[in-house]
Amino acid sequence: MEYVSPEGLRIDGRRPMEMRKLHAEMGVVAKADGSAVFVMGNTKVIAAVYGPREVQNRSQQMSDQALVRCEYSMANFSTGDRMRKGKGDRRSTEISLVVRQTMEACILTHLMPRSQIDIYVQVLQADGGTRCACINAATLALADAAIPMRDLVTSCSAGYLNSTPLLDLNYVEDSAGGPDVTVGILPKMDKVTLLQMDSKLPIDTFDNVMQLAIEGCKAVATYIREVLLENTKQLEYHRGV
Amino acid sequence: MAGKASATPATYSPSPATRKGKPTIYKDGDRDWVRPDGRGFQQCRPAFFRTGAVNAASGSAYAEIGNTQVIVSVFGPRESKKAMMYSDVGRLNCNVSCTTFSTPIRGQDFDQGSDHKEYSSMLHKALEGAIILESFPKTTVDVFALVLESGGSDLPVIISCASLALADAGIMMYDLVASVSMSSLGSDLVIDPISEEESYQDGSLIISCMPSRYEVTQLTITGEWSTNKINEAMQVCLDACGKLGKIMRSCLKEATSATSE
Amino acid sequence: MTGLSVGEKLFIQGGIAQDLRTDGRKRLTYRPIYVETGVIPQANGSARVRLGGTDVIASVKAEIGRPSPMQPDKGKVAIYVSCSPTAAPMFEGRGDEELSAELSIALQRCLLGGKSGAGAGIDLSSLVVVEGKVCWDLYIDGLVVSSDGNLLDALGAAVKAALSNTGIPRVQVAADTTGEDQPEVDISDEEFLQFDTSNLPVIVTLTKVGRHYIVDATSEEESQMSSAVSISINRRGHTCGLSKRGGAGLDPSVILDMISVAKHVSEQLMNKLDSEISAAEAIEDDS
Repeated sequence: MEYVSPEGLRIDGRRPMEMRKLHAEMGVVAKADGSAVFVMGNTKVIAAVYGPREVQNRSQQMSDQALVRCEYSMANFSTGDRMRKGKGDRRSTEISLVVRQTMEACILTHLMPRSQIDIYVQVLQADGGTRCACINAATLALADAAIPMRDLVTSCSAGYLNSTPLLDLNYVEDSAGGPDVTVGILPKMDKVTLLQMDSKLPIDTFDNVMQLAIEGCKAVATYIREVLLENTKQLEYHRGV
Repeated sequence: MAGKASATPATYSPSPATRKGKPTIYKDGDRDWVRPDGRGFQQCRPAFFRTGAVNAASGSAYAEIGNTQVIVSVFGPRESKKAMMYSDVGRLNCNVSCTTFSTPIRGQDFDQGSDHKEYSSMLHKALEGAIILESFPKTTVDVFALVLESGGSDLPVIISCASLALADAGIMMYDLVASVSMSSLGSDLVIDPISEEESYQDGSLIISCMPSRYEVTQLTITGEWSTNKINEAMQVCLDACGKLGKIMRSCLKEATSATSE
Repeated sequence: MTGLSVGEKLFIQGGIAQDLRTDGRKRLTYRPIYVETGVIPQANGSARVRLGGTDVIASVKAEIGRPSPMQPDKGKVAIYVSCSPTAAPMFEGRGDEELSAELSIALQRCLLGGKSGAGAGIDLSSLVVVEGKVCWDLYIDGLVVSSDGNLLDALGAAVKAALSNTGIPRVQVAADTTGEDQPEVDISDEEFLQFDTSNLPVIVTLTKVGRHYIVDATSEEESQMSSAVSISINRRGHTCGLSKRGGAGLDPSVILDMISVAKHVSEQLMNKLDSEISAAEAIEDDS
């Protein structure tokens, strides 16, 4: 199948280095301590953060740092074909773990010993890149909950199809079976915290693809920063400062 | 037992019409249709209750109303599971399951031997208002209901039988809970429907009430009803609940007088 | 759930007794309703309804299926509700199953009518393509994203909005099908048939706190309830389903009174909802 037309356009009309439209909003869940919705094209994810609060299960309590937990769930209507899968299948468990580890690395857990932070991510629409969208939504939700972090974490994926590196794969491109590199970075500190790849790539091509994904992460970071700034301005306005 | 048959029929004789005969399909225009088992529209099936059906349980009861047969056993109050948080009122745990041979087609409605979630939660709702939960803090009472044969109006029979089992177990209650259902078929209302009538019904109304306190603990309605019809159906059902309550009460009295003798 | 002090509890109860609730509403006033339609592009119809802090999404998906042999002239409808852990940490893992099942059953009871299909808000016979062979299966999924009380009313409104947003593709049946064969169908992806939602009821939940009852309770108010009755009422003022929730018993006359109050409230709610839905659809058409 042809994923990049001779004119250099992808199936959904984007150029190879082009991201999908981003949209984010904070404070969407009234009862949560922090929440955000993150949209990448047709992929839409809500994240809610509860905590820091008392540890529910005493045996998991840690005296020197906070416990970070994460649960990933997909809505029944999130995919093209309706599915009725229970929570806790392997894929969800894996993504929960990935998000938890990525977020744990940037939260200053030692500042909140003997407490627990819950991150819940709910996929409303899945069209490729749910993993990245979850991490981006979680970052915003944590910021909304005012949980101290080293830096923002942003994530983006890139692939390699028809000998062209492609940024931010959608579902059709993702299921083509080609290489898919998901990267999460701390943009200010310029460090990589998450790197996953399916399939295989020659080393020199991998460098290109990863570089592209990192560029994507930086673009996401710029956007997230804008959203945060706008949100802070709104807060300031409501306080009447 | 047989000697004490006063107002209540001590033994139950199955009405023959329910067992044989093709379904008499009810027609809309026909005003003088007859119910498959020949009862009047506002006539309940004969009810039989007996307590102490299961020896291992703290309390138990067996109910047979028409072809519907139900056993309910009550265990507890016992200590709540450690994982549960402290609570100054007792917990009620209800579970309804059906035998695989309870329906004409084996395991028709339910997975084999599995519990029936909808009935379990409805049973819980119908009973919790009648039990004085404050009388056993930090503990749990388990109610297990088993439908031996499903012959229509299963849920009301389970509810009535469960309240009798709770009384047998000595759990404090404000009153017994008697439950009756009603089906609307076209413009007619029939009380205590059998399975066949239930499968044709346009709507149903299940009411659970505490007869002496004249309070409704649970009411569910499906299908389209006008307010007048609800009014009428509730009145008939409440009357029937009152009568059913008397039968249940006399069954309890019999059981206690039998043990004291 | 919600930890309230004695003072807060008394404040809520006292407010309700004086017909001035903590957020300034009267006993029989709803919070403002916001409806957004077409939020899930993959679905045939979808809607998001916000009611104060309560936020729910409903989606409708139609798939071609076979009617059940018992009812060859009717399509099938399934309603599933799930509660996302984003709404409350207690829904984590399997923690939502109990509430989800309760809400699903309550919605089915309110929308699907009796066993024979009479009084159903959704006309099942309109879903049949070829009698006994091909029909539409409607899957209605509800998702609770954020919860601040009165979930059932919000879900009922969301399902109503999603169904009026639903377009069912026009189906062409191949003419030369005879006998037992499963007929071939051609599903159009351009022509859509609108769904008739004029008969769909709205759900009104009356929560009894003290001696009075209130509509649209927040979760704080729900924690103070002695019992609640959810009544679904259609445009003709007929009751299409009723279920009682929560402990204490009620006097039969109180229930009848609640039904008449709910009927009165439902008219306002229905009109409000209809205008919100048409406004939402107008916005969607523009964009």
